[in-house]
Amino acid sequence: MNTILSLGAILIFPSGLFLLFNGILYEWLDKKILARQQNRVGPRWFQPLADVTKLMVKEEIVPTGVNATLFNLLPIVAVAGPLTAALYMPVGGIGPLLSFQGDLIVTVYLLSLLTISMGLAGANTGSRFSLLGATRTLTQLFSYEAPFMLALLGPAIAAGSWQISEINEYAGSHLLLLREPIGFVIAIIGLAGKLELPPFDAPEAETEIVAGAMTEYSGRGLALFHLGRSAELVLGLTLIAAFYLGGVASPLAYLMKTLVLLLGLAGFQALMTRLRIDQTVGLWWRYGSLAVLVQWLALFALDMSRGGIFS
Amino acid sequence: METTMETQQQAETLLQPWRERMQAPEQNRIYVSIRPDELLDAVRALHDARWGYLSTISGIDPSGEDGEMEALYHFCSGPTVVTLRVALSREHPATPSVCAIIPSASIQERELIEMFGIDVVNTPDRSLLYLPDDWPEEIYPLRRDFDAAELVKREPRVTKPAEAEGETFVVPIGPQHPALKEPAHFEFTLDGEIVTGASVRLGYAHRGIERATQNMNWTQNLYLLERVCGICSHIHAQAYCLGVEHLAGVEVPARARVIREIVAGLERIHSHLLWFGVAAHEAGFDTLFMYSWRDRETVMDLLEEISGNRVNYSINVLGGVKYDITPELTEKVYKGIEFLDERVRHYLNVSTKDTMFLQRTRGIGVMTKEQAEELGALGPTARASGVLRDIRVDAPYGAYLDFPIEPVVATAGDLETRFIIRLEEIRATIVMIREMLENLPEGELTTRMPRRVKAGETISRVEAPRGELFYYIRSAGGETPERIKIRTPTILNLGTVIVSAVGHQFADMPMILAGVDPCFSCNDRAVAVRSADGDSQKWSWERLRQYGIERYR
Repeated sequence: MNTILSLGAILIFPSGLFLLFNGILYEWLDKKILARQQNRVGPRWFQPLADVTKLMVKEEIVPTGVNATLFNLLPIVAVAGPLTAALYMPVGGIGPLLSFQGDLIVTVYLLSLLTISMGLAGANTGSRFSLLGATRTLTQLFSYEAPFMLALLGPAIAAGSWQISEINEYAGSHLLLLREPIGFVIAIIGLAGKLELPPFDAPEAETEIVAGAMTEYSGRGLALFHLGRSAELVLGLTLIAAFYLGGVASPLAYLMKTLVLLLGLAGFQALMTRLRIDQTVGLWWRYGSLAVLVQWLALFALDMSRGGIFS
Repeated sequence: METTMETQQQAETLLQPWRERMQAPEQNRIYVSIRPDELLDAVRALHDARWGYLSTISGIDPSGEDGEMEALYHFCSGPTVVTLRVALSREHPATPSVCAIIPSASIQERELIEMFGIDVVNTPDRSLLYLPDDWPEEIYPLRRDFDAAELVKREPRVTKPAEAEGETFVVPIGPQHPALKEPAHFEFTLDGEIVTGASVRLGYAHRGIERATQNMNWTQNLYLLERVCGICSHIHAQAYCLGVEHLAGVEVPARARVIREIVAGLERIHSHLLWFGVAAHEAGFDTLFMYSWRDRETVMDLLEEISGNRVNYSINVLGGVKYDITPELTEKVYKGIEFLDERVRHYLNVSTKDTMFLQRTRGIGVMTKEQAEELGALGPTARASGVLRDIRVDAPYGAYLDFPIEPVVATAGDLETRFIIRLEEIRATIVMIREMLENLPEGELTTRMPRRVKAGETISRVEAPRGELFYYIRSAGGETPERIKIRTPTILNLGTVIVSAVGHQFADMPMILAGVDPCFSCNDRAVAVRSADGDSQKWSWERLRQYGIERYR
């Protein structure tokens, strides 16, 4: 019985099918909103699903000169990372399935698996576009990762716990968006960086390096990377909604809050010019990190005035 | 008119040593016959006095019995064109390279070598520019004895890919690449993200148009030349018409002259808006790209209203224009350009104020005035660097004699300035179109044009959206032209990219490339497939036809 439940959790909900379909749907919404803002019609609702289905049945070409094992393994890792992370998250507004003290840190690392596999996948092929893309992907990872993580740790400090479920509960009674506005902004911009959305799409700037690290991928591998990214979009939105927008205690709250964030994210993309990789790095280290440190100082000051460290 | 006389007199003074062999058949045109060994002296005389720029080098192999091969070096300064004619022996045509004096001449010399088999002594680069890699040796398409049947019989040339030197990291862009919607091949050598070298290969859409013109009559050529470019089709036809009408001594009615420039103005607006969208896309600003292309539809619709076509408007005929602009149409044009004026003002605002966008344009790809002059930059690219080169101002033609235009010039020379220049030019063009529509002269649209065109040669220069378009037309008095040489502005502007690319971030390359508004297909005027083993797939007409039938059965 227990085995069946576990399998269900992995394959159907909250991980597995639910997350993937949720991701595909949110990806469509993101594309549609962006298209409407750009004065285009945009895709129909099943377009991303059709893309993935089509890619799945297409032939996968393994280019010469690559390590074939790595080439086939990395897309699986890329999709496994977010799917595993989902088990520790209140996806769909229903409390996390698994929970332990410090699962926030594990989750953040699991979410980075996608980017790291993409970087490795690009570096694995001999294509010059892939190599440049991989370099940029990893460079970008090192620039946004620290501020993004610090921005997620802000609420953890406020809640006095490193456990996602507890922070979610704490956030339900405290609207942390008002207490840590800078952290919220950094978190949402960090998510755009993580998903390589404009203006942080230098790693896959099509006008320079075609599809960046993904250039040599086709068929199943490309579809898996695609799914991994869609899942990551959902998880990122869930995490930020849970931490900053008053928690996600019910499916309705989950839907409303993540959609509001998605709307913001799509609007953000429409307004931006792509930054060069050096500009991205400069922006994160010069302003992003500083801003989040200021946020932390403010938190400490607030905490001290109430007497005590993380009371 | 005073400056006109000045440039001509200066040229005459500079070329004093060759006075006896100098001809000035009309105002502002000087032809000097010189021997190959004197060429460098003459070029140096012009170059050292900073007189104009090398506009193009055109070869010619006339058909007559007494005709001899020539290489013509056309220098332009303001309204004056100086042509140095170098007569060459057919047995061993050789001329010295001018690259030591004018480095940017390399591309044109490559063309001279592959098209005419002229031995350009000491030229730095002899690799093919337009022709396919496996084009047989010693077959020169623009020689008068060129025979297509011979071409198939010959062994294909074996070109080895250049060996990479040491630890270089070369990134190819094109001919199939999302950054370039046009077929050109660039190779950028990178050190990290910094570009350390750049080279170009053209010809992926070479259609042999210059050769084809020699087999068609004067009227047919109009329709052929209109298809040189898909963006500025009108200006090519117009340059050709102006030249042929000049040769034939035909005066075009005033109304037709003005209608031509109205269409040319609309075409300029459409071309600049297209560029604006593409450039925004290169920078990754897709929202701006979508908006500007939506607005571009307005001007496309206007062109369609006037001519019935969106791309090849085909409004010119030899001796006038085909379509009239009626009062109802005038109203529509007014309305359209009014809307566009408002939109362009908005775009100007975006391109000068949007902080994110400015990060990608301000101070990027700077070309100084000296560089622009030296490299022979043309059109908006030159005008953004403070070099006023605009044929509509320098040597007004057609309706511009009656409707003088105000040129737009700025000095910063970076990408931002090129955005501003082109957008301001759209606004200036809108003002011009309004003025022309208000003062549209009454009268006929066409005049009679003879079938045969008097023997002679002429140079026709017009201002295309990308800069000076240069046509050299020669007639032997028959129904077909003897030689038509087309020099599109991109070929000169391209030289500026290759030079200014070095030292920039690779991420800026698409923007810098787009900055000159390149139009490669116009440059390339039988495509074979390049493959690793040097073999190509040549398909005969029958095989291609058969393939088509079976494919769509």
